[in-house]
Amino acid sequence: MLEQPYLLIVVSSLTIGLTAGFVMHRSDFCVTACFRDVFLIRDFFLMRQMLLLVVASMVLFEAGRLTGAITIYPFPGFSAPSLGNVIGGFVFGIGMVLAGGCVCGSLFKLGAGSAASLLAVVGMLVGSTLYAEIHPQWSSFAKSTVLIEDAVTLPQWFKLSPTALLLPLAAGGSFWLFREFRAGRMDRAAFAIGHLAPWRAALILALLGFTSYVLIGTPMVITTSYAKLGASIESLFAPEHVKNLAYFSLNSLSYTPPFSDQAITGGPGPQLDAIAAIQYPLLIGIVGGAFFSAAHLGEWRLQWRLPRRQFASALTGGLLLGLAARMAPSCNIHHLWGGIPLLALPSLLFLAGLLPGTWLGARLLARFVIR
Amino acid sequence: MFVIHTIDINIRGHICPSCLLLTLRALNQNGEALRAGTAEVVVVTDDRHATTTIPASADRMGFHTEVTRIDDGYRIRIFGGV
Repeated sequence: MLEQPYLLIVVSSLTIGLTAGFVMHRSDFCVTACFRDVFLIRDFFLMRQMLLLVVASMVLFEAGRLTGAITIYPFPGFSAPSLGNVIGGFVFGIGMVLAGGCVCGSLFKLGAGSAASLLAVVGMLVGSTLYAEIHPQWSSFAKSTVLIEDAVTLPQWFKLSPTALLLPLAAGGSFWLFREFRAGRMDRAAFAIGHLAPWRAALILALLGFTSYVLIGTPMVITTSYAKLGASIESLFAPEHVKNLAYFSLNSLSYTPPFSDQAITGGPGPQLDAIAAIQYPLLIGIVGGAFFSAAHLGEWRLQWRLPRRQFASALTGGLLLGLAARMAPSCNIHHLWGGIPLLALPSLLFLAGLLPGTWLGARLLARFVIR
Repeated sequence: MFVIHTIDINIRGHICPSCLLLTLRALNQNGEALRAGTAEVVVVTDDRHATTTIPASADRMGFHTEVTRIDDGYRIRIFGGV
């Protein structure tokens, strides 16, 4: 057992982030595009890759749980399933389409030199920080609309073993994906140099999520760090205000990580704690991995010329993303790559809101932004 | 002498999927000329994703594509009438 768990967490998180950033850049694995393209151009290619990632994660997480490699089930960070998850998912869907990338996608695009993604990230910082101003009201709303009191996952709710639900789902999903592979629908011609097929990226990202779950005790999570970073910046200018905000005093994470017998805690406030140890290295890693990938290909350049409408869209989208990631709470990576494979109820509700949100975002984008 | 009209679309740095949508618009507006072989669309982009989505979408519309790497991105030529 490690007496000091932070070293393992920081090193694992940074390595996972660097790999994820590299892989996402090479494959253009954009979660926003997975959903947006379905509504915008009726293209299901990337959605198939997303389903592959979910099914692969489902199999890995459950195998990890059954073999004892995964010791924390479900992983920490889930609130009771409520309407807040649905509304958060809805706003998140609009935001990610307008921003041109989700919380993770914007990071890897920023690493490759996209000024639009930098704006989106700035918007996310502002949105996450602004959330602290409405947290008491939103938190009361979420608590008053809790749908199920005593269960976080679908198997818990049905009082079934997770395997009983996950096994048929994973088997059905695998069979369907196998048929899609055989029909040639999981791959398509690519011309960018150094391109990595999205299906390979989906499998690598599932493996990274599993590795993170085994070593850190949670799959990839990132969005609280935006609020934390926002709080750190705000506290430079208004330290008393930050101190007085209830949200920044929360202790939202408390668990004993694997390979440790010491509990660690953290919250969205500006202090360096467990959340900073888990999420900051991941954030830096994703940007760094994408930067390395683009530079290695000779493709890194600052892409800062963009029309005014897109400037406004990236910033507004980022702001909505930041707000929604706190309202939901958490982002699509936490819910889709981590929660859905466990059939976590908050994640299923987030998805129920994300779909119509993405549809509306796609309509807004086509009508008002790209002209 | 037979002259092919080239429709240039220079899209660098835009948010995703601006490149694809603007290209699709150009293809829809000039579909007849492209099919007749009197016009071609040339897209210059730094969006790696577009080098996959534009050829796939153009192919579905019955056009041909050529993708070449240039100094600051990719050049995608879309044409028909072959």
